[in-house]
Amino acid sequence: MTATIIDGKAFAAKVRAQVAEHVQRLKDEHGLTPGLAVVLVGEDPASQVYVRSKGKQTLEVGMNSFEHKLPADTAEADLLALIQQLNADPAVHGILVQLPLPGHLDSDLVINAIDPAKDVDGFHISNVGLLGTGQKSMVPCTPLGCLMMLRDHHGSLAGMNAVVVGRSNIVGKPMAQLLLGDSCTVTIAHSRTRDLPDVLSRADIVVAAVGRPEMVRGEWLKPGATVIDVGINRIEGRNGLFGDCDFASCVEVAGAITPVPGGVGPMTIACLLANTLTATCRANGLAEPQGLTA
Amino acid sequence: MRAAVIDGKAIATKMREETAREAAELAQQGWQPRLVSISVGDTAAAELYVRNQQRQAQDAGVEFEARNYPGTISMEQLVGVLQGLNADPRVNGIIIQRPLPAPIPVKALQKAVHPLKDVEGMHPASIGNIVYNDLALGPCTAVAAVEILKTLPLKLEGLDVTVIGHSEIVGKPIAFLLMGLGATVTVCHHMTRSVAMHSRAADAVFVAVGKPGLVTGDMLKPGAALIDIGINRVEGKTVGDADFASCAEVAGWITPVPGGVGPVTVATLMKNAVLATRMQMAHYRAQYANTEV
Repeated sequence: MTATIIDGKAFAAKVRAQVAEHVQRLKDEHGLTPGLAVVLVGEDPASQVYVRSKGKQTLEVGMNSFEHKLPADTAEADLLALIQQLNADPAVHGILVQLPLPGHLDSDLVINAIDPAKDVDGFHISNVGLLGTGQKSMVPCTPLGCLMMLRDHHGSLAGMNAVVVGRSNIVGKPMAQLLLGDSCTVTIAHSRTRDLPDVLSRADIVVAAVGRPEMVRGEWLKPGATVIDVGINRIEGRNGLFGDCDFASCVEVAGAITPVPGGVGPMTIACLLANTLTATCRANGLAEPQGLTA
Repeated sequence: MRAAVIDGKAIATKMREETAREAAELAQQGWQPRLVSISVGDTAAAELYVRNQQRQAQDAGVEFEARNYPGTISMEQLVGVLQGLNADPRVNGIIIQRPLPAPIPVKALQKAVHPLKDVEGMHPASIGNIVYNDLALGPCTAVAAVEILKTLPLKLEGLDVTVIGHSEIVGKPIAFLLMGLGATVTVCHHMTRSVAMHSRAADAVFVAVGKPGLVTGDMLKPGAALIDIGINRVEGKTVGDADFASCAEVAGWITPVPGGVGPVTVATLMKNAVLATRMQMAHYRAQYANTEV
């Protein structure tokens, strides 16, 4: 058996098209243009690439993009002042501070200074708690993207056994909450898990987010399982990017699988735009778009 | 019977002694821990709990003031009361007794309690901290259940745990607390296809659903720990979610109901009162120690 390949690139394009449609409607019916502010401190080359790509896609769906590039030695007080200003700016509906921040800045303090309603990354402690208590929140983009792909592939996820491999704050933990919210039975496995193959053998859904190249082997999977691979790794001596799953063996056993690259990756920015749209609707007391939030 | 019965009362007594020592220390520095309990409307349902909390507060060296408000009070007035308590430096913790009259939204009210005074651990920021593995003030029942597991001679790192029930104040926080301690956690609920498949694979099972007899001995791995958080009334008796007789034949450890998680929950509330007082003291000192403002 060979798995269906879930095309993240095509699905992300579909999500962006949906977002663009809603943006157009907000402009026509309410005179509103959603705005996303991205704050980049320092000159980390990878961050610069991300920020450029985010800015480009923001404009493509018809939103306003506000880029704030600050020097690497920016004082914490100055960064906090900028965030206060963006919090107060009615043209800004979403604020994203590109991580990692230079070492002298306290990321927790900076993230928690963002107005939770504008925290489109979903990292503010209040949003984490709101998600944890099943209330309306801003949901972190990568797990939201995974959830959308799973819903698109399966329809209802209720009653399925899901295993999340990895317990990071930005993927594993929110992913587990989202899957619980969709009524999966959820197991969170991680580096301390004794027998990962045994845990995976019962999983209808596997979300791998550990950051270890090709760790999950096809022979560990339940035949027909859906595999969402969040990992983006490099391997010394080999060209290209590699996921946390060994694609060659997994594709033989799984029912469906996301490739790396071209799977989860493209969904992340699409979900950032979806979150900005959601934040805009909430800030203006308008109905939230269907299918673009948890 | 095979299982050792876990004595929740003894664990609670030990915790209260420790809390009383810390409360006395804080009092010496001018920070006597003090709780305010708020009941609204027909308070008969909660009265037993409140009296029990009051008694245990006394044992733990924590001052306790029980306030009753009439059922006609508005949400705005209640929020005003909470804001007053938030601002009052002599109050270190606020308890909102449930049930509340139907028109009052519980979650909105819990959000109005300052996170540093949230001794019940219900504020979204408190839950967020647990998810991020930074335990400050956790929801009492969840913290108590995990504290009980910690008293057993089991290594939590790598332990396979199944949590039955995914409520926001018990099941889910237990899952995140245990995950933070290195356990591999599976969360089951009413949509789970086969709870038995998951519970049989577990070294420790937590059940918090509110269904008497839900967990039976044949659903357990021999020697597993069973922490029963359910409190149900059946034919005039208080029972948990587990069928005690059959589970005690298979489990290695089991909590009784009553006398298991319940007493430890109230002891955790008192421990939170001391923790909250300590956090407020640190906050106050950080705010006022510096003269260059």
